[in-house]
Amino acid sequence: MPDTTQFGDIEDNFSEATLKPNTVLISRYRIIGELGGGGQGAVYQARDLNFPEAKRLVAIKEMHYPSADPNQRSATFKTFQREANILATLAHPAIPKIFDFFDQNSRAYLVMEYINGSDLEVLLTKTKELPIDKIMEWASELCDVLDYLHGQQPEPIIFRDIKPANIMVDSRGNVRLIDFGIAKKFVSGTKHTMIGTEGYSAPEQYRGDVNPLSDVYSLGATLHHIITREDPRLAPPFSFNERPIKDYNSSVPSGFVEIINRALEMEPSKRFQSCAQMKEAILKVRYGGGGGMIAVNGTDDGSPKGTELFPNMENFGIEARWTFKTEDEIRASPTGYRNYAFVGSYDTNVWAVDLTNGEFAWKFPTQGGIASSPVMDTSSKLVLFGSEDHTFNAVDFSSGRINWSYTTKGRIRGTPRVAHDHVFFGSDDGRIYALVAANGRYLWEYDMGEAVRSRPFVTNELVIAGSDSGEVVALELSGNKKWGFRAKRGVMSSPIVDDQGICFFGSFDGHMYAIDSGSGYSMWRFRTTGPIVSSPAILDDLVYFGSTDGHFYAINAESSREKWKFNAESPIVSSPVIYKDNVYFGSNDGKFHCLDTNSGKEKWVYETKGAITAAAHIMENVILVGSTDNSVYALPLID
Amino acid sequence: MGLFRRIFGKVGDEGDTPEASTTSTKDTEAKNEEESQEETSVSEQISEDVKNEDFIATVEVAVTGEDALEEHFDSATKPIATAPLPQRSIIDGATRPLAPDQMYPMQEDIAGIDVLTYGVSSDVGRVRSNNQDAAQAFFVTGISADDHPDFGMFIVADGMGGHHDGEKASAITVRTVTAQIMKSIYLPMFGGDEKTERVPITEALIAAIQSANKEVMTNVPDGGTTATVVSIIGDLAHFAHVGDSRAYLISREGIDQVTRDHSLVQRLIELGQLTQEEAEEHPQKNVLYRALGQNETLEVDAMTRRLPANSRLLLCSDGLWGLIPERDIYETVMNTSDPQQACEKLVAQANAKGGLDNITAVLIKVSK
Repeated sequence: MPDTTQFGDIEDNFSEATLKPNTVLISRYRIIGELGGGGQGAVYQARDLNFPEAKRLVAIKEMHYPSADPNQRSATFKTFQREANILATLAHPAIPKIFDFFDQNSRAYLVMEYINGSDLEVLLTKTKELPIDKIMEWASELCDVLDYLHGQQPEPIIFRDIKPANIMVDSRGNVRLIDFGIAKKFVSGTKHTMIGTEGYSAPEQYRGDVNPLSDVYSLGATLHHIITREDPRLAPPFSFNERPIKDYNSSVPSGFVEIINRALEMEPSKRFQSCAQMKEAILKVRYGGGGGMIAVNGTDDGSPKGTELFPNMENFGIEARWTFKTEDEIRASPTGYRNYAFVGSYDTNVWAVDLTNGEFAWKFPTQGGIASSPVMDTSSKLVLFGSEDHTFNAVDFSSGRINWSYTTKGRIRGTPRVAHDHVFFGSDDGRIYALVAANGRYLWEYDMGEAVRSRPFVTNELVIAGSDSGEVVALELSGNKKWGFRAKRGVMSSPIVDDQGICFFGSFDGHMYAIDSGSGYSMWRFRTTGPIVSSPAILDDLVYFGSTDGHFYAINAESSREKWKFNAESPIVSSPVIYKDNVYFGSNDGKFHCLDTNSGKEKWVYETKGAITAAAHIMENVILVGSTDNSVYALPLID
Repeated sequence: MGLFRRIFGKVGDEGDTPEASTTSTKDTEAKNEEESQEETSVSEQISEDVKNEDFIATVEVAVTGEDALEEHFDSATKPIATAPLPQRSIIDGATRPLAPDQMYPMQEDIAGIDVLTYGVSSDVGRVRSNNQDAAQAFFVTGISADDHPDFGMFIVADGMGGHHDGEKASAITVRTVTAQIMKSIYLPMFGGDEKTERVPITEALIAAIQSANKEVMTNVPDGGTTATVVSIIGDLAHFAHVGDSRAYLISREGIDQVTRDHSLVQRLIELGQLTQEEAEEHPQKNVLYRALGQNETLEVDAMTRRLPANSRLLLCSDGLWGLIPERDIYETVMNTSDPQQACEKLVAQANAKGGLDNITAVLIKVSK
C-alpha cells in the first residue's frame, strides 16, 4: 500500500531518526516504542512517569517543523498551541483526550490518551469482510462525533481528513477519531510530481473550500472503501460511482447504499446537510421506521433506469399504426420499398403488406422457414431473400412473381447484402456467394468451411463476413481472400466498417472486436459476459450493440471505453437501429426499447408478446418491428 | 497494404462505409456503384511489378535514457540526431511512375504513409540535476512481395523518485515495453499464420505497460514513471498511456491531445470542479492518480487513430507541455520541416521558459 505522499518532499531533510525506547521526554514520558508513522512524524507509545505506581500509558504524536527559521517555527508552534487548546476542551467518547503538549529538540509533541485497538486501514488488511451491521454502527457513531465537532462554538471544527487510517476501533469495538487536522500545519507544499491522491477528500477541498459537508463526503468515501475494499487512492479521484457498492457486496441494504451515494455527491448541496441528518438516515435503515429497510434485491448497478414519464400508461401511450400477423415466428428484420413492407416469416413465406395500413398485398411461399431478412435491390426492383429450403430468391417487389432463384447446398439463414449491382450472402453450406443482383448470374463463391449466417459487409474494395467457426474473412471483390481473422467462437453478428476503415463485429465468445479493415490487424476487443449475436451500429465515435448478458452497450470506437450501458434485464440478440438521437432495439422478453444515444436513458418501451430477435426497419415515419409472436408492428416514429 | 498503399495511395478508401452511419442497418444502397473493377486491375499489375523486387529494409533505432536497451545497442545517453531516411529512389526506378493525380486520388487527408521520419530530443532542463525522462524511437520499413506494413514504436517515459529511482524506473519501462512489443506485436507480423488468433494490438500494448509496471514495482520500489507509447502499423497509430506525459496529433486541422492526463487537476477539470486557469496555478498540479510503480494492478488507457496525411505525432513529457502553450507547439511543429530540428527547437523553447523540469520530445512526421 503506497503512502499517499510516496514521492513528496524527498529532498526535505525530515528523515531524522525516531526516538529510541527508554528516551524520556520533558522528564515525564518514557518512550516504550513506536505505534506508527504518520505523514509528518511518528506516534509513540509512552509511559507517564508522574504515576509511578500505575502503568499509565499515553500516545505521543511527534511533529517536525517545516522550516528551520526560528520565526517561522515560533509561529507554527503558536498555531499548534492554539489548536491543542481547542482540542483539550473537547469531550466526546469518540475523541481521544488531550493531556499535554510541548516542544523539545526542534520538534513539537502532543500527548494523548492511548487507545488500544487498530485503525480501520489495518483492520481492512487483517479481515476478509466486516459485518455490514457493524459498519452501519460505526457510521452512525462517526456521524455523531462529526456532528459534535461541527457544532462547536464559535467556529465549527472540521476534521478535514476522515479516512480509514484516522479511525481507530478500540478494544470494545467502538470507533475513535485520531490524528486531528492539527498536524496539517506542519505540511509544506508539494514541489515534485507525486503519485497517489488523498482519495477521500471532497472536490471542493481542492478549491480551498472546506466546510462541514466536506467531512460528510470523506465519511461516505471511507464507508465506500471499507465495504467495497477498493482503495480510492488507487482509483481516479471522485470515481466512486464507477464502483457501485452492490457489485462488490450485494448484501448491503439498498437504503445504506443510497446513504453512502448521497454523502458522495459532487455538489455539497446534494449531500446530507448535516451529520445529524445522515445519522438519522442510517438509524432508519438499521432499525426500520420511516423509510425503513429497503428491499435488498434492488438493481442499483449504476445503469440508467427506465423513464417514468408515462408511468401508468401502457406502452407509454404508443399505439401501433397497424400490425400484421403471419403464421409463424418473425425472426429477421422487415424491410420496405415504396408503399410496401416486406417481412419473412418462419411460416415459409415472404409477405408483402401495404405500408400505410398493413393490408395484405402478396406472399411468396418457399419450402422452408425464412430466418433471414429480405433485402430490396432498388435498381432491379427485386426483393432478394434466402430460405431454409436452400434457395435464394429474387421476386418482383409489386407482384411477388419470381424473377430468378439460385440453389445452394445448405439452408440459407444469412441476410444478403446488395452492393455494386451484386448480391452477397452466406449459406449453411459454409460458402459466401456473389451473384449478379438483376439476373442471379453466378460470379464466385468462397468456402469458409462452416455456416455463414452473418450478413456480409461490402466496402469499395472488400467483402467482409464471419462464420460459425469464428473466422472473419475479407475478400477482394474478385472473391480472393485478402486477410483472415479468427475469434474464439462463432461470428453471427454482422461486421460493419466505419469511416476510419475500422471493422466491428461481435462473437459468441462474448467480445466485440475492432480490426483494421485494410490489414485484418486487431485493435481491441471489448468483453461482455454473454455471447454477442447483435450486429453493431455506429454513430459518430460510438459503437452500439446488445449482448445476451442482458445489457445494451455504447462504447468508444477508438478506445473501447464504455460510454454507458443499459440493463434490459433480458438477453439482447437483435441489432440496434439508430435514427436521429435515438437507438432502437428489442430484447428476448418481447420489449422494444428506445434509448437516447447520448445518455443511454430509456425514452420509451413497447411490449410485444414474443422475443424480438432482429433489428427494426425505419422508413416513412414508421418503425417496423418483427416479433416471434408472429406479428410485425408498425410503430409511429416520434422525434 | 505496405508498398501498395505507399505508391498507390488508398484507392477507393473514401468509400469504406457505403452506409450512412445513422442508418447503419439499412440496406447498402448502391451509392458507390461507379467504382472500381478497373482499379482492382491496376493494383494487380502493380503487385506483379513488386513481386520481382528485392527485399529492402531500413531499421532505425534511437535511444535516450539511462541504460535502456544497452545490451542490444550502443546506446547514447545524449539525444541522438536522427539521420534522414534514405530516399526511396528504387521505387521510382522499379515501378511504373504514376501520374500525380493517380497517385493520390481524391481524399488526400487519408492517404497512406509515404515516408515516415522522426526526431528525438531530451534534456535535463535548467533546474534539475539529472534527467529522469527516457525516450525511444524504432521504425522499420521495407519493400518485398510480402507487403508488410511499416512498423514504428515510440515511447516517452517520465520517471519520478529520489536517489536516481526516477531514471531507473523510466529506463526499465522503456526497455520492458520495447521487448514486449517486439515479441507480441512486431515479430508475429512475420508469422504468416492467419488462422491463429491475433491479440488485439492495444491489448498487447496494455500488457507491455503492465509488465513494465511489475518490473518497476520489483526493481525500483520507491520509483515511478509515466509511459506514453505509440505503435504505428501502416497508417494506424495505436496508443497506450499512463500518467501525464502526452501524445498530440498535429495536422492542418490543429493540435489535438490524444491522451488524457491522469492527474488530480485534470480530473477536477473534467468534473467541472476547476477551471483550466485554476489548474495551472494549483498547488497540487503535479499530483498523479495513476502511474507505473504505484500498485500491482494498473489500468492503462488505449486508443487507435488513423494518421491523416501530412500529420505529426508528438510525444512529450510535462516539462515540455507544462511550459509551452499548445498553439506555440503547433507553430513550431508545423513550421519546421525536419522533425529532429523541431524537437530540438521545442526543447530549447522550454528551456527558454525556465526549463523547470526534464524536457523530452519525440516527433513523428507522416508525409503524403
